[in-house]
Amino acid sequence: MSFSLTGKNILIVEDNPVFRKAMRDMLYGLQADIVTEADNGIAAINAMTKSTFDIVLCDYNLGQGKNGQQVLEEARHRKLIDYRCVFVLISAEQSASAVLGAMDSKPDDYLTKPFNAQQLLSRLTKHFVRKNYLVSIEKSLAKGDLAQAIRHCDALLEVGDKKMQMQLLKTRAELAISAGDFDKARQIYQDVLAQRELPWARMGLGVIDFQNNNIEQAIAGFQSLVADNPMLMECYDWLGKAYEALDQFTQVENVLQQALQLSPQSILRQKKLAEAADKNGNLEAAEKAYKSVVKLGKHSVHGSCADFAGLAKLYAKTNATDEALKTLAAMRQEYANQPEAELRASTLEVDVFKAQGKDELSQKALQKTLELCESLGNKVPKDAQLDVVKTCLLSDEHGIAEEMLHDLIHANIDDEQFLNDLRRMQSDIGMHNHSEILIQKTKQALIATNNKGVALYKQGRFKEALDLFEQAIQTMPDNKTIIVNMLKIMIHDLKVNEFCEEKNQRTINLFKKAKQIGVDQHKLGILQMEYAKLRHSQLAKH
Amino acid sequence: MRSILENNGVFPTILASTVHDIKNSLGTLLELIRQAAAKQNDQATEFDQLEFEAQRINHSLMQLLVMYKIDARKFSLVIEEHVVADIIKEAIDQQARLSRLHNIDLQVVCDEDLMCFCDYPVISNGLASVLNNALRYTKNTVLISATEDSGYLRIAIEDDGDGYPQKFLTADLSNSGELDWVSGNSGLGLYFVSVMACLHKDADKTGYVQVDNQSSLGGARFTLYLP
Repeated sequence: MSFSLTGKNILIVEDNPVFRKAMRDMLYGLQADIVTEADNGIAAINAMTKSTFDIVLCDYNLGQGKNGQQVLEEARHRKLIDYRCVFVLISAEQSASAVLGAMDSKPDDYLTKPFNAQQLLSRLTKHFVRKNYLVSIEKSLAKGDLAQAIRHCDALLEVGDKKMQMQLLKTRAELAISAGDFDKARQIYQDVLAQRELPWARMGLGVIDFQNNNIEQAIAGFQSLVADNPMLMECYDWLGKAYEALDQFTQVENVLQQALQLSPQSILRQKKLAEAADKNGNLEAAEKAYKSVVKLGKHSVHGSCADFAGLAKLYAKTNATDEALKTLAAMRQEYANQPEAELRASTLEVDVFKAQGKDELSQKALQKTLELCESLGNKVPKDAQLDVVKTCLLSDEHGIAEEMLHDLIHANIDDEQFLNDLRRMQSDIGMHNHSEILIQKTKQALIATNNKGVALYKQGRFKEALDLFEQAIQTMPDNKTIIVNMLKIMIHDLKVNEFCEEKNQRTINLFKKAKQIGVDQHKLGILQMEYAKLRHSQLAKH
Repeated sequence: MRSILENNGVFPTILASTVHDIKNSLGTLLELIRQAAAKQNDQATEFDQLEFEAQRINHSLMQLLVMYKIDARKFSLVIEEHVVADIIKEAIDQQARLSRLHNIDLQVVCDEDLMCFCDYPVISNGLASVLNNALRYTKNTVLISATEDSGYLRIAIEDDGDGYPQKFLTADLSNSGELDWVSGNSGLGLYFVSVMACLHKDADKTGYVQVDNQSSLGGARFTLYLP
């Protein structure tokens, strides 16, 4: 296949002028004609916001500021590059796993310095051939059409190109998991493993165990995997998730410590470690982790004011009030004019100033907290809301606290991990089981509504069932169970009754909402597939 | 000073960081040599020699770093299925300049559809360093061939030079305890490739390396077996 760099929009990100020139010369020598250069991470991101690149060649080590990993993470996170772009990470480091392990999103390829023009061209050719081959699948996925992506993948598998077979099977299994079709995914992984012991297939089986709620079995699988593949960082994350599901935070902490010792650069992993250590009361470990998070966050798209607040909270807990205030000052500087940062800061100041005996300042901070909370409304992240509740409870603002608790519990009644956080907070301030009655009552109400709704649905009384859920959603906004039930009914309604555009639009909106509030992809996937099938036969009729 | 290093076990880490730093400098040096060479065509051979030596240092440092990582349990292979022809091409690309430099006839016999399970950069780099040796010691021709051989992938690199010295022929390459033969660049390179081969495992099969002077071309023959 003839492949040319002519007409390809290429970005070079490299801080060393010698290498930058070398790469530019190399590219021009390979007939490239559109080459942009950036000598640091911010310049690279800026270039990507202005132009769509076909190829990004990015050095890992960019001196001060963002590194190559952070550039890639931000570019993907902000959708500055899409599936068509070939992103190549370049480094002097020989072993790919050492660098890639820390990464939550992987580059298309990894090149070790020094390399020559022939090497570069061979690699790029390979990736364009591969991307070209898979483009139908990726395009469907970018549109959010899971069913179509699966059809394309199956069609390619049918062709039976030996060179692409493994890649396609891996993709097909991942698509099956997204669609909630665990049997299909398991079958693929087992077939692959019968041929060869490959870590991704073994890990896939663990993920299926996890999603099927066989947590213990998942843990056993992940553990034996990391024992054989110590640099398989993703696997530590799954182990952590599994222990978290069992509420075993000592284990979560251990696993993450182990992973971070091998590759300390992952901000999301450090964040998880900080939270777990904090929950376990290992304040020293938590402090160390939070400090790393704050430091890594400076150049990362995943950095947030919540990291500073976490560190400041920790200091407040140990009565290191000066340190706490210093951290908050640093946060205000880094996140100037961000109401969420201001809210987090003032919430903490209420307690800190009180501890310092500065009651007047504490009162002022409380006023500000309540004002900000009011004006921001539901834009306040739930962990920050929980902090406000805590402060209110400690400052005798019980009316406001109870009101917020009521809303928080109703909105998050099926989020057991959040409810545990809430319980932990109340125990910490000597109000053990304070909201337990409300939690249980809300749970029962949800169950009752669901049962009633499902019963109505079974009797074919779709409209009544939907009305009931519609009503329930007013008091429990963002409740995943209700949204999923509504979707089920809507789809069934479309199937058995005459197709109507208004109902169809409502279904589409519900899908959007479900995605937005974070319904598990595999639960949503089953419905997406069913809906796609329905639409398919609908369109065929016309 | 010595005791501080020993007590904290910092020496390996300092060593690794230092090697990294040297590698970075070397990378810049290599580029500068290339750029200078491009400007002065008439002295090309000297620049080529400079580049060749710098490449060699780079290879040795890279091997040292990987060995350190294995020792510190910070290394695991990334096994995927790859097209064998791509791996061979990568090794040839790396050594493209040298084969041109010595005007060597480089032949490849490999089925385009041949696949294998391995760590792509590890194996292609290993083959590149063996190829580097072959290109240096051959007279006219180097042959790279790949076939399937009773459950293993077999990649051979042969030349028409004088063959391997006796110490390599009698060495037990898979025994990392017996290292008398490991000296000089080719010895280190062979040792490294055989360690990497050993890390490739499938069920009860383990990768290995063989060297002999049975080449059909009349010189040295290196053979890598991957399960």
